[in-house]
Amino acid sequence: MREILRLVVVLSIICAVAGFSLALVHKVTKAQIDYQQVKFVKEPAVKRVLTGYDNDPIKDRKELEIGKDKYGRPQFLLVFPAKKEGKTFALAMETYGKGYHGDEGVMVGIDVESGKLTGIGITSHSETPGIGAKAVEPSFTDQFKDIAIQEDVKKKSDGGKIEALSGATLTTNGVLSAVNSALKYYKELKDKLIS
Amino acid sequence: MAFGKEFTKGFWDLLPPFRLVLGLCPTLAVTTSAENGLGMGLAVTFVLVCANCIISLIRKVIPSKVRVAAFIVIAASFVVITELVMKAYFYSLSTLLGIFIPLIVVNCIILGRAEAFASKRGVIDSFADGLGIGLGFTISLTVLGCIREVLGYGAIFGHNIMWESFRPFSFMVKPPGAFVCLGLLLALINFISMRQKAR
Repeated sequence: MREILRLVVVLSIICAVAGFSLALVHKVTKAQIDYQQVKFVKEPAVKRVLTGYDNDPIKDRKELEIGKDKYGRPQFLLVFPAKKEGKTFALAMETYGKGYHGDEGVMVGIDVESGKLTGIGITSHSETPGIGAKAVEPSFTDQFKDIAIQEDVKKKSDGGKIEALSGATLTTNGVLSAVNSALKYYKELKDKLIS
Repeated sequence: MAFGKEFTKGFWDLLPPFRLVLGLCPTLAVTTSAENGLGMGLAVTFVLVCANCIISLIRKVIPSKVRVAAFIVIAASFVVITELVMKAYFYSLSTLLGIFIPLIVVNCIILGRAEAFASKRGVIDSFADGLGIGLGFTISLTVLGCIREVLGYGAIFGHNIMWESFRPFSFMVKPPGAFVCLGLLLALINFISMRQKAR
């Protein structure tokens, strides 16, 4: 009996010490790991839509709560500010729209001073190869450059400027709805985003 | 000098992948380039040195009936620490090594050294043993990685070194290349040690 007690106590102490030190290391490295993961996944898209900044948009990123999903978990909007000499002149934010196969992630760049889009980049999608997946090509995304943001961005068939991808109307609609929700958040939260 | 002896044996007498023939899973899987081999080797060295020291320090407290469980908990903790630190500061390397970092836990070298050495000897000897074996493992992996990278990509640590018309054998950086390369190195090392014995 005494021997069993000794086994239990020694092993428990070892596990407790191990658990405690792991918690400590986790706490110390968490911020840096989050930074690395965001940088690895998002930096290429951020670089595509923002230029001429002298800060680190990944490090200065902001997460704003923008409501809850259907399970009641808070949802966040990731915003990457581009600054020059400490002044924010452009923003990139990632929003999602519903495409033909699930959500499409779109990085939307907005020029704060001129009120125009600086461009968009598709960060994630699962559209049909050869049809909807053409949304990632510059021939499609470049159309969004320099479009004014006062009104919603529309397709040509709806009186706008964007040439829809042929055979992929739903994909195009998904990208447009992501861009437009980014514009909506931008207009609502402008003061918070730029400060 | 006991310290020196325990340290240097890891470079030849107990060279892990070739003499002990332990730890072959990472040896075969991640040595597609010199950098991967070096990274993996250093991660294993860190875990081995730390686990050896801690196990040696508390060897008299651990009851022999639960020693293996205790060794695994200690090794696993250091593996997780390595994984977290690597993700935080060497993110691209950690994505390359991927699942093989957590798998260090089941690397036989670590449990083997804990059981065969650290649980019986003092801290300084165990430290020397861990460092020696770990560095021996690192060198083996780096050498294997260099050979495969030079032949498979014509580069070393990512720098091109071969002449321009060199056509890389992409076979060498695929899994069969690992077996062939390991086998040839093993044969070479066995040949050298047989010659030594004959003398």
